[in-house]
Amino acid sequence: MKTSRRTRRQIPRLRNAAVGVCLLALANGVPADDALFQALGGIEGVNRVTEAVLDRVYADERIAFLFKDSDRDYLHQRVAEQICVETGGPCEYRGLSMERAHGGFQIRHDEFDAFVEDVILGMEDADVPFRVQNRVLAIFAPMREDIVYR
Amino acid sequence: MIGRRIITAAMGCLLAAPVLAAGTGQLVTGGATMFEGAAGGGISPWAVLNGYATREQIAATGGFTRLDTGDYRLGVAGASVNLWNRVELSYARQELDLVTLGPALGLPGATLEQDVFGAKVRLFGDVVYTASPQVSLGIQYKKNREFGIPAAVGAKDDQGVDVYVSAAKLFLGGAGGYNLFLNGTVRYTEANETGLLGFGGPEGSDYSVHLEAAAGILFSRRFVVGAEYRQKSGTLEGLPEDDWFDIFVGYFPNRHVSIVAAYVDLGEVATLADQTGWYLAIEGSF
Repeated sequence: MKTSRRTRRQIPRLRNAAVGVCLLALANGVPADDALFQALGGIEGVNRVTEAVLDRVYADERIAFLFKDSDRDYLHQRVAEQICVETGGPCEYRGLSMERAHGGFQIRHDEFDAFVEDVILGMEDADVPFRVQNRVLAIFAPMREDIVYR
Repeated sequence: MIGRRIITAAMGCLLAAPVLAAGTGQLVTGGATMFEGAAGGGISPWAVLNGYATREQIAATGGFTRLDTGDYRLGVAGASVNLWNRVELSYARQELDLVTLGPALGLPGATLEQDVFGAKVRLFGDVVYTASPQVSLGIQYKKNREFGIPAAVGAKDDQGVDVYVSAAKLFLGGAGGYNLFLNGTVRYTEANETGLLGFGGPEGSDYSVHLEAAAGILFSRRFVVGAEYRQKSGTLEGLPEDDWFDIFVGYFPNRHVSIVAAYVDLGEVATLADQTGWYLAIEGSF
């Protein structure tokens, strides 16, 4: 119940932001390839995936402690924005750079692996097709070096 | 029989114990154990390190391999340890049953036996997480346990060293959305039939540079289909060697078990032509 409430609350917010960014993009004549974003199911799909991934992460004792001081709603917004932007969707990422967001945590490689596993399982939970999962991972995998041991 | 029972019991434990400590790397990225003990496919070592250890972890791996062409039957038992995803140390004991040549030479039951001690160092890169490929430097010290037959056919030494450099990369979504794995290896060697027929020939030491390659597609997180190539020459007179090929399927149900089955084409091996057959490797990781 709690989860679905949160999801519903966020979709309109993101949608409003999306419309704004979309207009900006049109104004600037940016022809973004949004095939992957569409394959994820657009804004609603991105929200569903984000929710499923965070469910996995918060339930994962190997890494949940890393997020204990993060506000889940805030985290959801930033992660959803990032997935949206990186997959070619009409959003704006308003979070910190990866280096700054993870600075001071000294996140280890095994913890990063656990997160990737949760991302994969979350995408499975959200019924993201295998080949779409791989394309999403291809975007985020190179970010490891900006995240670990910071 | 006892050996089979132990293997069966061990496999049962492995399949039933997915909560044992092990590395946390993503499935398949540790490769399997190739027949010389190093992490790789079946006939060629890859730049990845055995097991799933990350920078904070140590992983141990053990496994058995069978290759059978009818005329030759190779059995391998191997073990390795991965230290912090930086160094891989491995040992493999190989025994080649000369099914056809033994009786023909008046030596029924004859075998060629060899120990392979391997070390591999990851120089830079990560097979999944960096733009650059993962590049590793490997060395294999090989020692014949019996030198009678290799000496009789002209091998100079009963021991030798292979040195190789491998580069591997997993292209996420790289094959129509499926993950594509590529590995290339350059090997410097004077081994005859990978060392089972000794090292060097009548001319003495005679090192060659050989190229090896592997490609695979992951059709799911646990299932990979691929092929390998290994260039070979050899230094013995009258015993030309052919390049090797295989087509393999690998199943990685979890981080503790992998099973690789392959069709191999070894060409002519020690006067016997058209050596094709099957290959099976089972591995456990902790």
